[in-house]
Amino acid sequence: MLLEVKNLDAGYGYLQILRSVSLNIDKGEYVCIIGPNGAGKSTTMKSIIGLIAPMGGTVVFNGEDITGMSASQITTKGISFVSEEMNLFVNMSVQENLYMGAYTIKDKKIQKNRLDFVFSLFPRLAERKAQLAGTMSGGERKMLAIGRGMMSDPKLLLVDEPSFGLAPQLVANVFESLDVLKSQGVTILLVEQNVTKTLAVTDRGYILENGKIGLKGKSRDLADNPHVRKVFLGV
Amino acid sequence: MSNNYGSKFLSWIKSAAGLSIVVTIVVAVVASIASGPYLLVNTVVTGGMLALVATGLTLMLGVLNIPMFAHGEFFMIGSLAAFYVFTPISNYTNENPDSIIVVFGPLIAMAASTIIGAISGIIAEKLVFGPLRRRSTDDWVMNSFLLTVGLSVLLINLHQLVFGADFKGIVGYWSGMPISIYDVFISRDRVMAFMIAAVIVVLFWFFMTYTRTGMAIRAVSQDITGAQIVGIDIEKIVLLTISLACALSAVAGGSLLFMYPSYPTVGLEPLYMAWFVVILSGLGNVLGAVAGAFIVALLKVITVEYIGAGWDFVIPSALIMFILIFKPSGIFGSDVRGALDK
Amino acid sequence: MSSTITSRQMNPFDKILDKLCLTPAGFCGLALLFVLPFIPPFNQEYMLRWLIYCGLIAAMSVGFDLTAGYISIVNFGYAAVSGFGGYSSALLVINMGLSPWIAMIAGGMTAGFIGLIIGMISLRLRGIFAACLSWFFGLAIMGLTIKLVWLTRGQLGLRTPRLFETDSNVPFYFLIITLLFFIYLACKWIVRSKMGLAFQAIGQNMDAARTSGINPVYYRVMNFTISCAIAGVLGGFYAHFYGILTPDMMHTSKTVEILAVAYIGGRGSLWGGAVIAFPFIFLMEIVRSTLSNLPGLNLVIYALVLILVMIYYPGGFSYFYDTNIRKPKNKALRYFFNGRA
Repeated sequence: MLLEVKNLDAGYGYLQILRSVSLNIDKGEYVCIIGPNGAGKSTTMKSIIGLIAPMGGTVVFNGEDITGMSASQITTKGISFVSEEMNLFVNMSVQENLYMGAYTIKDKKIQKNRLDFVFSLFPRLAERKAQLAGTMSGGERKMLAIGRGMMSDPKLLLVDEPSFGLAPQLVANVFESLDVLKSQGVTILLVEQNVTKTLAVTDRGYILENGKIGLKGKSRDLADNPHVRKVFLGV
Repeated sequence: MSNNYGSKFLSWIKSAAGLSIVVTIVVAVVASIASGPYLLVNTVVTGGMLALVATGLTLMLGVLNIPMFAHGEFFMIGSLAAFYVFTPISNYTNENPDSIIVVFGPLIAMAASTIIGAISGIIAEKLVFGPLRRRSTDDWVMNSFLLTVGLSVLLINLHQLVFGADFKGIVGYWSGMPISIYDVFISRDRVMAFMIAAVIVVLFWFFMTYTRTGMAIRAVSQDITGAQIVGIDIEKIVLLTISLACALSAVAGGSLLFMYPSYPTVGLEPLYMAWFVVILSGLGNVLGAVAGAFIVALLKVITVEYIGAGWDFVIPSALIMFILIFKPSGIFGSDVRGALDK
Repeated sequence: MSSTITSRQMNPFDKILDKLCLTPAGFCGLALLFVLPFIPPFNQEYMLRWLIYCGLIAAMSVGFDLTAGYISIVNFGYAAVSGFGGYSSALLVINMGLSPWIAMIAGGMTAGFIGLIIGMISLRLRGIFAACLSWFFGLAIMGLTIKLVWLTRGQLGLRTPRLFETDSNVPFYFLIITLLFFIYLACKWIVRSKMGLAFQAIGQNMDAARTSGINPVYYRVMNFTISCAIAGVLGGFYAHFYGILTPDMMHTSKTVEILAVAYIGGRGSLWGGAVIAFPFIFLMEIVRSTLSNLPGLNLVIYALVLILVMIYYPGGFSYFYDTNIRKPKNKALRYFFNGRA
């Protein structure tokens, strides 16, 4: 098992959002978490990557307990996080942003290889490598954020709401690029609002409601589940 | 292609940044022709010193979000360290005028002030800023600002308490005839002070632009969450930035000991001037702060020359206020400011 | 904040207290301040001088807090504005032969005008940048005062006639305590009114305030004007109490003193600074006069207190009071600390 989250409690200050969330991901899987607004999807991501210190429970990655470590330590272990806000370095060029993604890799040669790999995934970024990240369009920024997440050659990629605020055409692009990553053998944990699309491409899914895991199972089965259809798909 | 560069240059001239740099250069040249080249020399020496202090201030504000009011006190610490290191050296060289230390002694003193500046910066972080950051980051800008106000009062009065309020100065670092450039005599100390400032600014710019650590500092200043998720250790960067910023201010104090003897409130003037620079140039980049430093230095020198000593707070501050009314983000301002105060 | 008992049900004493914005504890404190000059050892002239200085700083911190605590902008040129008021008052007396009492009011008006200007030019700036602008303005005023020697005699200092033709400090003491009280009352009334609500709104979130129909330009300029006018009147008091004015009173370190008292007292409370100024400044004066062989020690303590408060108790004394002292079990004590309102 690559990632195992057990009975995770988390929140902000006195406000607890997650209550005993458990999930696990095997190597090479493409897993999604779906749920309504405010259910705690982003909070789950942030506590896995260490941006929020968990209040209880454990997170085990690759056989190692990473609960309570700082984000920079966890990143070094091989998890990458592509946040909803993207958190790009707006006054740096595309290339600089990508090199920052490989911050934990000290070898210049490997850095260059990773850069070539990301450019081959997103040729658009190669065209604009000298442009400042802050001056790019929303779709390009999303690509850059995912590309930056891939620079460190992660074992696990956490992607938070990649379709948020994008035009439908660009959403399709983003999903395509995630598919490419999946076919390259990258393990992906995806959080999404776009339920139909997400359940169509992922292997397994977790439904998060009010800070608890409500349902879990194969994505195909979830898409047929009457509760999911009623709540998320409106049918 | 050349046409493209030409039009780019033209549009740069028309921007606030280009306009103010061009005006500065023109005014500097005209004033030097009218009243003598020493104006230019003074501007360049003061500007170089100011560039160091202002860059440190920009770093503190841009990376750590601390509006540093105690930055002048690190200037004071630097000059104090240089004084106590250089005094025995100069006693020794007076007895052994042929020793190699005559040449390197001042550099040792400046290196000492740099190191002590960096160490005191780290101490300030560990004792003052760190505890505040761990306790709460609500209202951080204002709270940390008040902390630095307290730190400034503390350091000034500790100096007075421990070392006394008298002037602790030296005659000069490098003895010998002034250097003459086109019939203008400039003391060796001034030339060296400018050269040191120039070398440090260039090195610093290089460090920030091309090295891994320098890029990490910039990354933290642009997006702290982004920096965390690419694996940058924020605490290390914070410590490094504070020590760098304080060392920059301290080395300015150390290398200008021949002009500014060390006394408790020696740091206030550089502090005021550096804040003029930071507000005037906006929170852009290092280069903006450097350019702003020379603009403010020229303003000060020209004010002293044509209006009189003592007016050098009135005229520059009035002018800066005037500019800010029309361009509140400063002449080299960038969007960083929006993130700084919500 | 808002009272649960309507004013009709309150007894007349509570009603008056409420109008005066005092709790029974506050009333006792004020009464204590009025009898203090008759209690030994405080009846000695040099102690009274210290107490007057305490009162002055206390009143300044109230005016300062109106800007810092409510619209969240630190007016870093506050001492300079106050000095401007002091100088204009002194010059009016010396050159135009005005009575110091009228001149003091005029000083407040000129300082209010300066506040108007600062408020206008800092409109487009926020937070620390507005603070810097007011600071530069203060530096400019101070520089002008030093350089306009023909008018202000520069560093030599300007001799001014005193308010009372007596060597005793007692009348001055009563005057500053009265001034302190009325300044507190005025600020408190403003804060309780609709205007105070608007101040708080633009202090917390200017954009949100604007979208809910509050004109930030008007209220910000208004706030600066009132706060600076208070500083000006107090500057006039300073001028006509000490009898000599030097540009040093405009120095940034004076602003720092006011700011420290206001923040140690608790921002946004108005009374915190006023209460804390008396013990704090008084102790500092004792340290300064008894340990005169260690110059600067009082300021070291001063700075340490400010640093410690900012790190460990950023809410200041008023926050401590509200959370720990205000809610005793005993009913009588609760009335004493809170009043009926």
